[in-house]
Amino acid sequence: MQFNWKIGGEAGFGIMTSGLAFAKIATRSGYNIFDYAEYPSLIRGGHNTYEVLVSEDTLTAPKWDIDLLVCLNKETFNLHKYRLTDKSMVVFDPEMFSPDIPCIQIPIGFTQIKKTEKIDQMMVNTIAVAASIALLGGDLNVFEQLIHQQFDRKGEDVVNFNLRLAKIGYDEAMKSTLLKLDILKKKDVVKQKMVIAGNEAYCLGAMAADCRYYASYPMTPASSVLTTLAAWQTTNQMVVRHPEDELSAINSALGASFAGVRASVGTSGGGFALMTEAISYAGIAEIPLVILLAMRPGPATGIPTWTEQGDLLFGVHAGHGEFPKMVLAPGDSEEMIELTMKAFDLADVYQTPVIVMSDKFLSESHISPDKETIDHLLQNHKIRKGKIVSDTKESPYLRYKLENDGVSEMLVPGKKGVYYQANSYEHVEDSHTTEDVGMRVQQVNKRNAKIQTYFKNDFELPKIFGDLTESEIVFVSWGSGKGSILEAQKLLDDKKTAYIHFTHVYPIPEEPIKQLFAQCEGKRIILIENNSQAQFGQLLRMQTGISIKETFLKYDGRPIWPEEVRDFIIGKKQNLNSEKAEMKIQESKSDSQSQVSSENETSEEDIMNKLAQKMA
Amino acid sequence: MDNIGFDGYAPTWCPGCGDWGIRVGIKSALEQLGYDPSTIFMSFDIGCSGNMNDFINGYATHGLHGRSIPTAVGMKTANHEMNTIVVGGDGGIYGEGGNHFLHACRGNHDITVIVHDNMVYGLTTGQVAPTAKQGYKSKSTPQGIIEVPVNPLALAISQGATFVSQGFAGDARSLIEILKAAITHKGFSLVNILQPCVTFNKVNTYQYYLKHAYKLPEDYVQNDKKIAIAESMEVDEEKFPLGILYKEERPAYHEQISQLEAPLVKRAQFTDFAPFTSSFV
Repeated sequence: MQFNWKIGGEAGFGIMTSGLAFAKIATRSGYNIFDYAEYPSLIRGGHNTYEVLVSEDTLTAPKWDIDLLVCLNKETFNLHKYRLTDKSMVVFDPEMFSPDIPCIQIPIGFTQIKKTEKIDQMMVNTIAVAASIALLGGDLNVFEQLIHQQFDRKGEDVVNFNLRLAKIGYDEAMKSTLLKLDILKKKDVVKQKMVIAGNEAYCLGAMAADCRYYASYPMTPASSVLTTLAAWQTTNQMVVRHPEDELSAINSALGASFAGVRASVGTSGGGFALMTEAISYAGIAEIPLVILLAMRPGPATGIPTWTEQGDLLFGVHAGHGEFPKMVLAPGDSEEMIELTMKAFDLADVYQTPVIVMSDKFLSESHISPDKETIDHLLQNHKIRKGKIVSDTKESPYLRYKLENDGVSEMLVPGKKGVYYQANSYEHVEDSHTTEDVGMRVQQVNKRNAKIQTYFKNDFELPKIFGDLTESEIVFVSWGSGKGSILEAQKLLDDKKTAYIHFTHVYPIPEEPIKQLFAQCEGKRIILIENNSQAQFGQLLRMQTGISIKETFLKYDGRPIWPEEVRDFIIGKKQNLNSEKAEMKIQESKSDSQSQVSSENETSEEDIMNKLAQKMA
Repeated sequence: MDNIGFDGYAPTWCPGCGDWGIRVGIKSALEQLGYDPSTIFMSFDIGCSGNMNDFINGYATHGLHGRSIPTAVGMKTANHEMNTIVVGGDGGIYGEGGNHFLHACRGNHDITVIVHDNMVYGLTTGQVAPTAKQGYKSKSTPQGIIEVPVNPLALAISQGATFVSQGFAGDARSLIEILKAAITHKGFSLVNILQPCVTFNKVNTYQYYLKHAYKLPEDYVQNDKKIAIAESMEVDEEKFPLGILYKEERPAYHEQISQLEAPLVKRAQFTDFAPFTSSFV
């Protein structure tokens, strides 16, 4: 059983706060959540939404049909009614509008309550969340505790005021419905669950990896890493800086890393573009660095608050010249923690830049892992620094000593009697500049040798979900594609499917991957990506010669929905009568931005794709 | 292995280049202050100036053009026990890295920025630099540069630098004293050094500076911002003050970060993760 709650209102109404509160109420009542928020690149006036999917089972993606839509304005209803069914509940204010399609109507007089209680719009959220609890058979006490946690430091009056509003919302909803639902019914035993998004997972991973310096210039959707770590820094002793630009961010991080501390930067495509020269410097000077690249749809400013996997090839190829670099792409918050910790190890072990790829969908969508699991993950991480040492027996000390595995001893600066430079020019073993033919080739070979060492020691094959041997349909994707594909596999439970999930996306060794795909011969293989040019497909072809012909690509700024994957496979749209479809087409103002290529493509699929862009 | 000196490779600068004098100045200042190559951080920019990376020893970065200041900021933040020196040219520091320069002044980062100011790009064979006089003709500006010159001293003073000075590559003795004061100063120190490029700049020569530069009087008041700004504007009259124009005491950037009581690189690993995971419940 999955239940999809969604709230919408004008930007500035406090939609994000109430959405997160609802998610925590669900997890504190004993349920799992997956949430997904949409907002324009505005502070006030645009339309914000937040949806929380609730279930007893683990959730990895959002769901198309909305079960309860809380409308704080009329626009919310108009923009989302095409995702409602006749069984959907709609909370609305009769003074603003009434639903004009069949649905379960729950009128609540927000406007009237605002007047009577003399409250501003932000406060209406409290009423709306409490009303939702009532409708779903939840325990108001869970919300009350949350209010205490949030407002206790603001004093008793603020707390009591919010508690009173919550009670009003709860009572109003009870008056409006005869339904007896137990969607949020509090469980007797509740495991502690975290509500955590990809960016927050990155913060935890970086902290557990002993990252001591983080520099970042704000850019959606990476900014919340900066603000989260900044808020933590006096407690965990990390130094977190917001410098003048991305160039300063990454070059200062390289300076800090040279001086011996683990360092990281985070940004999105535009800021990453500014950083690329320094990535190249890290490559030749062999300075460890972890870069979080949280993608959003470009080019240039693009659609800044939406999602896309459009910078994979840019990330992979970032930096002029030839040097080794590792690119990791977690598929969910838990993998984000694991791979972030690993990224810092790889950066140290191979003394080279490592990129962790995310996107708005992964960076900002919350999942609800058990706290115990995450604590275990963080506490049991054993840091590997490879050949980074604080003392050396080598004399003379050779920073760029030629080694077969490509990695030289890296001395943390400070030892008496020794000195060296992190040189952006080609250099001899002791780090002085050179243009010598032989040494140039030897140093290039040495750096390149790291790739083979990585393949041998640290590359991980893609994870397989489902039985690859038995499967008839094989999905291939990377990073944040994971969640929706796993959910789609459930929706397609009458078919034999498997999913090959790449997290170590670059570099990729040819032979083991060829062997893996040899097992897929004769099966229907579909590459699924949230971009228009099948970038991972290109990368896979480039690195292994494997070419996947059938693709499902989406690039309208919205994430891939499990239902879309299912419909692509079965080649038709369910529960979508033509009348309703026509209505939806009229709403859709622009042409389809989604592209599917399949022999099974139908006009209904076109319709669905047109609708996908309206998912705001 | 303890007796290591600052002398690296033999310099490859043109005979007569002002960089020779600057190198002697930096080396002498460091030696006289008791540093050795293991106790100093150096961040070299790219250019003839930055090529000093191979001629002076130290724990050093030779990074990217224009980025020597942020690199130094990171080095200092990670280990503030190390005195940190930036060596760059007018192009890297005031052109490509101009944004970093003004923000490092604001932050009062405890680094010493030594700028070889020869008003021309040497390593790329003679294009105009941001400090060149308006109308200066170069390979890249055959009709003369349209922009008025950057005024590094006025810029630094106005943006919050706490030590602003100017030296002359032809007067090593005075330069050493300025450099020692700059390196010793806690906070952002600028040493702008007038440095004749004997190959590409036929205007701003040694003779030119002997005529146009002047030493600040002995009774010059160093801690008056208005006087310092007025002195820095003398360049508009083609007059170049030499000495310490401005100096004030203000807490350095790293001193205002509570996490940096002990150097970041030396503290123990933080491991108490539970309160952080709890905050997400």
